[in-house]
Amino acid sequence: MPGPASALKGALLGAVTAGFAAPAFAAGTLAGTNITTVATATYDIPGSGAASVTSNSVTLRVDELLDVSVARTSPGDVITFPGATGQLLSFTISNAGNGSERLALAARDAIGGDQFDPSVNAIVLDSNGNGAYDAGVDTLYVAGSNDPQLAPDSSLAVFVLSSMPVASLNGQRGQIDLTAVAVTGSGAPGTSFAGQGQGGVNAVVGATGADGVASGFYAVANIALSFVKSATVADPFGGATSVPGGTITYTVTATVNGSGSLLNVRVADPIPAGSTYVPGSITLEGAALSDANDGDAGAFTGTGISVALGTLATGATRAITFKVQID
Amino acid sequence: MRYLLPLLFLLAPAAALAGNNVTLASSVFVERVKEDASGKRSTVLEPPRVVTPGDRLLFELSYKNAGAEPAADFVVTNPIPDAVAYAGVEDEGALVSIDQGKSWGTLASFSVRNADGTFRPAQPSDVTHVRWSFSKPIDAGETGKLSFRGVVK
Repeated sequence: MPGPASALKGALLGAVTAGFAAPAFAAGTLAGTNITTVATATYDIPGSGAASVTSNSVTLRVDELLDVSVARTSPGDVITFPGATGQLLSFTISNAGNGSERLALAARDAIGGDQFDPSVNAIVLDSNGNGAYDAGVDTLYVAGSNDPQLAPDSSLAVFVLSSMPVASLNGQRGQIDLTAVAVTGSGAPGTSFAGQGQGGVNAVVGATGADGVASGFYAVANIALSFVKSATVADPFGGATSVPGGTITYTVTATVNGSGSLLNVRVADPIPAGSTYVPGSITLEGAALSDANDGDAGAFTGTGISVALGTLATGATRAITFKVQID
Repeated sequence: MRYLLPLLFLLAPAAALAGNNVTLASSVFVERVKEDASGKRSTVLEPPRVVTPGDRLLFELSYKNAGAEPAADFVVTNPIPDAVAYAGVEDEGALVSIDQGKSWGTLASFSVRNADGTFRPAQPSDVTHVRWSFSKPIDAGETGKLSFRGVVK
């Protein structure tokens, strides 16, 4: 039969070993953790000697706090153009609660106060966890079907892909709101959901209201010029192998997207190291241009080629070619 | 004679139990700040129906000497649960330990060694145990309450 005094020692020893085992979470003690308290008293009764008494043990179970936040990670407005599709806005959703929680996501595109409404094509979860959108790799989010489950104190990158209306104009901004809501429940802080927390504890709405929202913006730029460069090789033997003496023909295609016109467009392209410009090889839309910096649009500057395209309107495409010989 | 000695040891704790007339009861409450219709704030103690990180807890110990004799050298010890950060005690006379009950003193008397070898004053959250030592015996029939506060980590 153990003496009451040994019960005191046992209680103290138990606290020693457990004292350093509790992991520290910013979100607090994990839901379902027991808080047990028991007190011990020792005393002396004259004539009877030392005695001790142990109190009843009181155990509380830590309930689940529901705290959710959303932040935009795209650094500023995403610059886009009318009719653009698959335009990417990045967000981070976080579970700041102390239990594992499933979050329901929604992206709203019809928001008052902006100048146009983008159209959300997809919400994509960063399933490989690299923080960047990987087309065809990251998982398409389907509400209610693959609501992401976030461990306490963890975050997940979420990408919203949208299309811009063709009618959007230069300088206009369109807003997207991404919301994340704890599936267990949300509402006024302090709202309690009996028995619905992790492991059957109660779930309690925290200071965030168990939901979060962040806004992202698309800005339609005046006009955007894009380039596509391609190369074909002709070797001295009639083949297409990159060998010394071979000739590479570069094609640079410039396309204007957006609305309005671009003035004084000039394309410059340096001659790659290890190759030499073939004199008189610049063409614009199939027409030869001279190398001299003269009345026509083309010039060879000694280190690269330069072609003046003048004013280009939306939808305009210009193809430039030039040749280099492999040294 | 050889077997009498262990028997005597067995009897000793039993005798102590016979004089065990002090009772100790532990209870825990959650301190919540309530705001009434006029915006006046007051702190209320609630049974711990719902407990989440950040909640303030009041640990209360009720003792009673139910025996006929006074109980001297009365010492009550309560370990702080792992998931609770100690947040102080009502009674000035209480001592604390920051090393699992090996040494006892006032919080101000302890310092904690930092990783870089320097020392910082002990914080309430360093406390692992709280203890009350009574200088006067508890008279027969006497009751009292002790309490300390903690915050759920």
